Amino acid sequence: MSAPSLLWRGAALVLLLLFITAPQLFAFAFEPLTVNGAPAIYNQGSLLSLTLSHLRIVFLATLASTILALGLGIFVTRPSGREFLPLSRSLVNIGQTFPPVAVLAIAVPLVGFGEKPTFIALFLYGLLPIFENTLTGLMEVSPQTLDAAKGMGMNPRQRLFQVELPLALPVILAGIRLSVIISLGTATIGSTVAAKGLGEVIIAGLQSNNVAFVLQGGLVVALLAVLIHDGLGMAERRVSAKLGRAADEVS
Amino acid sequence: MSSLRSSLSLDRLGSVIAVLIGAALFASPFVIYRANRIVAGEGRMLADALPPSGSVGVMVLALAVAGCAALVRAPLIRLAAASIGLCAIFPAVGWSAGFITPPGNTFARVSPALGFWLLALAFALLAADALTRLRLSPWARLAALAVAAGAVALLLVSGAWNDLSLLKEYAGRADTFWREARQHLWLAFGSMAAACLVGLPLGILGHRVPRLRNAILQVLNVVQTVPSIALFGILIAPLGYLAAHVPLAAALGIRGIGAAPAFIALFLYSLLPVVANTVTGLRQVPAAVIDAARGMGLSARQRLWQVELPLAPPVILTGIRIVLVQNLGLATVAALIGGGGFGTFVFQGIGQTAIDLVLLGAIPTVALSFAAAIILDAIIDLTRRGSP
Amino acid sequence: MIEIEHLSKRYAETIVVDDVSLRMDEGTITVVVGTSGAGKSTLLRMINRLVEPSEGRVLIDGQDTMAIPEDQLRHRIGYVIQGYGLFPHRNVAENIATVPRLLGWDKRQIAARVDELLDLFQLDPAEFANKFPHELSGGQQQRVGVARALAAKPAVLLMDEPFGALDPVIRSKAQDDLVAIQRRLGTTVVLVTHDMNEAFQLGDRIAVMDQARLLQYATPAELLTRPAEAFVEQLVGTAERPFRLLSLLKVREAIEPGPAEGEPVSVTDTLRDALSRLIWTGREALPVADASGALVGRVSVKGIVAHGRSAP
Ligand SMILES: Nc1ncnc2c1ncn2[C@@H]1O[C@H](COP(=O)(O)OP(=O)(O)O)[C@@H](O)[C@H]1O
Ligand SMILES: [Mg+2]
Repeated sequence: MSAPSLLWRGAALVLLLLFITAPQLFAFAFEPLTVNGAPAIYNQGSLLSLTLSHLRIVFLATLASTILALGLGIFVTRPSGREFLPLSRSLVNIGQTFPPVAVLAIAVPLVGFGEKPTFIALFLYGLLPIFENTLTGLMEVSPQTLDAAKGMGMNPRQRLFQVELPLALPVILAGIRLSVIISLGTATIGSTVAAKGLGEVIIAGLQSNNVAFVLQGGLVVALLAVLIHDGLGMAERRVSAKLGRAADEVS
Repeated sequence: MSSLRSSLSLDRLGSVIAVLIGAALFASPFVIYRANRIVAGEGRMLADALPPSGSVGVMVLALAVAGCAALVRAPLIRLAAASIGLCAIFPAVGWSAGFITPPGNTFARVSPALGFWLLALAFALLAADALTRLRLSPWARLAALAVAAGAVALLLVSGAWNDLSLLKEYAGRADTFWREARQHLWLAFGSMAAACLVGLPLGILGHRVPRLRNAILQVLNVVQTVPSIALFGILIAPLGYLAAHVPLAAALGIRGIGAAPAFIALFLYSLLPVVANTVTGLRQVPAAVIDAARGMGLSARQRLWQVELPLAPPVILTGIRIVLVQNLGLATVAALIGGGGFGTFVFQGIGQTAIDLVLLGAIPTVALSFAAAIILDAIIDLTRRGSP
Repeated sequence: MIEIEHLSKRYAETIVVDDVSLRMDEGTITVVVGTSGAGKSTLLRMINRLVEPSEGRVLIDGQDTMAIPEDQLRHRIGYVIQGYGLFPHRNVAENIATVPRLLGWDKRQIAARVDELLDLFQLDPAEFANKFPHELSGGQQQRVGVARALAAKPAVLLMDEPFGALDPVIRSKAQDDLVAIQRRLGTTVVLVTHDMNEAFQLGDRIAVMDQARLLQYATPAELLTRPAEAFVEQLVGTAERPFRLLSLLKVREAIEPGPAEGEPVSVTDTLRDALSRLIWTGREALPVADASGALVGRVSVKGIVAHGRSAP
């Protein structure tokens, strides 16, 4: 990685950490946006704890989606699950036409306000990209490689864990990254259903007509998303470089 | 003989569907009755939800579909069974609402419950599986969509659903509904059109100038990463400033809060798929073809118009499909910043814990994205065939 | 020793391998040759049970392969395919170590075996052990593929078009190397190819297949001189026949007594090479030297040509 890009990333990370731990330092920048002496920096809770809650729910939901989606992806690509493959692909296609907000909104009346509907929405919607990429990754493994593995006497389990999954890993990671980014956004909207997270800052700003809140909430979420996206992307490039695949120029 | 046996053996997916149908019929309420629109409701099993003839009829039919799913493999038959099932339960739920609501009571609400949704899910799964296996041609898929849309329209227009809570929510705000619908479509399609106007030339430029390509794609990639509501929020401040200090902007209706930041954000999100797919579409021409074209003395401009562009439409359309589905969904979030659209009902519904109001916003959104995906997939297939 | 007895494979209505019986002796190279779609790969893959036979059986050293669990069977049989199927996520050493690891060899033993094989295939362990397949040339990948197949010291090596992806110069070298290594290790090799030249160059015996049937199973010389069917004759190539025959024979077999002028040829050269030298130098005869360089007689155009005729 080139020095300037490393510098950029480091600077962005430091800025983000500084802002969520000591936001008052930045009050001067947001003051011009306030009217009638409204506070310039979010004052209804600690940005740090909101960030941690936000990350926690995204992490837990992604973990749950990853486990289930990986399991399902593996199942439908085994001989015993092949029957479900065509349908599961159409379902993923159909599922992706559901906006995450709709999933969130429909979950509220079923399970009440708070973390639960947000978790459900993140979990369900997060399944799709991971499942889709697991399928793609597993089906892209070259039949030749699999034939060689079988010919050397690897049993189905060894083939899965020693050959198929390692080879599908970059694509699966890309799915997880997509899922995390969608979840970060949906979790922000989760604040409308009273899940604790960074969306609170934006919503509070919208409700009290305080543009400073809206902007700082937006910036923190945006920076967080960009940095996480970037970090996961780096991990992915590492893995694919080892496999000798041209790492994507972008994304 | 052997082929007969294999066609009658137990289908595993079909068995799952049959179990779903069983759970829906015997273990879940078909509809929920509530004394008014926000109190907790009580479930009604199918047997109590319809007059005896009706509930027995629906039950027998659903069981027949279950049997068909488990035992018959022929996709056409399964599709027919699923369609019959759907054609039975959708009117039935409306009928049930009329049957349960005490005459003259305008507060009581009846909504579909778990049992109905499970049945709908089971039949839809069966239909989706059959349709997947049938590998319909693009025109046939469009026709299937039209038939489905027609059937829903018929149910709505005929008044068969008028007693359902969802339609009562609608009846109370029919004007707003259509206004928000227009706003939703304007946000989604308007921003898409703007993105095409800007993104296509940008893509062509990126194709011609590789250095620019990477820069453009990297910036757009970062934009795409920013969650929607955060981007809305970031845009509010500068737009508010613009509105306050540039009279022309204010005159054009640009304000910090409202449709403007939503429209701009959707436009920005749309750029990446349009630009990236334009570049990919132009680049997919095999190197040998480009080499041959150069060998024949075609200039870069001639290659673009005569070789690269004619081959690009399917890939560019794929980008537009992504944009459209994405925008139709994201436009829901615009309501949070006063940008209108179907999200208005969704967020109002969340605020009032009125699920039917949520559904009034969510169902049209999902239906629109779904239809857009099917239509664009069909168009993409058709353009692929046109240029093999 | 591999014995194939009345082996058949059917997919639904089509028969892909039709009642094939063959016996491959210990320590020999058997080449299965035929046009594409003849059923060669299917026949080969029935030996390690990648394809389950519809009828018939395969015995290895007298033991029915059906009696051995399939994974264990495959651990004992090396397998090389066209394109090699190297694992892209594992480096050269790890690729070669695949079967020993499956068999639970200990680490030191595996490392020693990997180094030994890399040496055998003229790949410097220091340079190559940690490289990934995508960093290797085609020829290097091929060698790693064969090394991997030989890692657990299998008595049998199955090869399906193992040289198909190589360019001619490297291919010829790889073929020579294979023969040398096979002779050294005494492995029983079954090799599938559609290339007649390759069959003649490598095969101790050649099995010709067409449309699922085994047409002829014989030594190269027999195949040339007594083709069982018109198809075999055509496949062998009528115009090429005398030269093929000459390239199967060594100078040793055409030595005549008496002196001759010129640079001597070696007893181990093929008659084809000797004839080519005779034509090029414009001589009627050349002296023959044995391995130590001592002259042991001469070889003449007339004598060689006599060996290139169909058998009486
Ligand atoms: N799994 C299979 N199902 C149906 N037909 C097959 C299968 N595998 C191979 N075949 C058919 O068997 C024939 C022989 O295949 P193969 O043994 O691969 O031929 P070769 O290696 O001689 O080119 C081909 O016509 C091929 O299409
Ligand atoms: Mg073959």
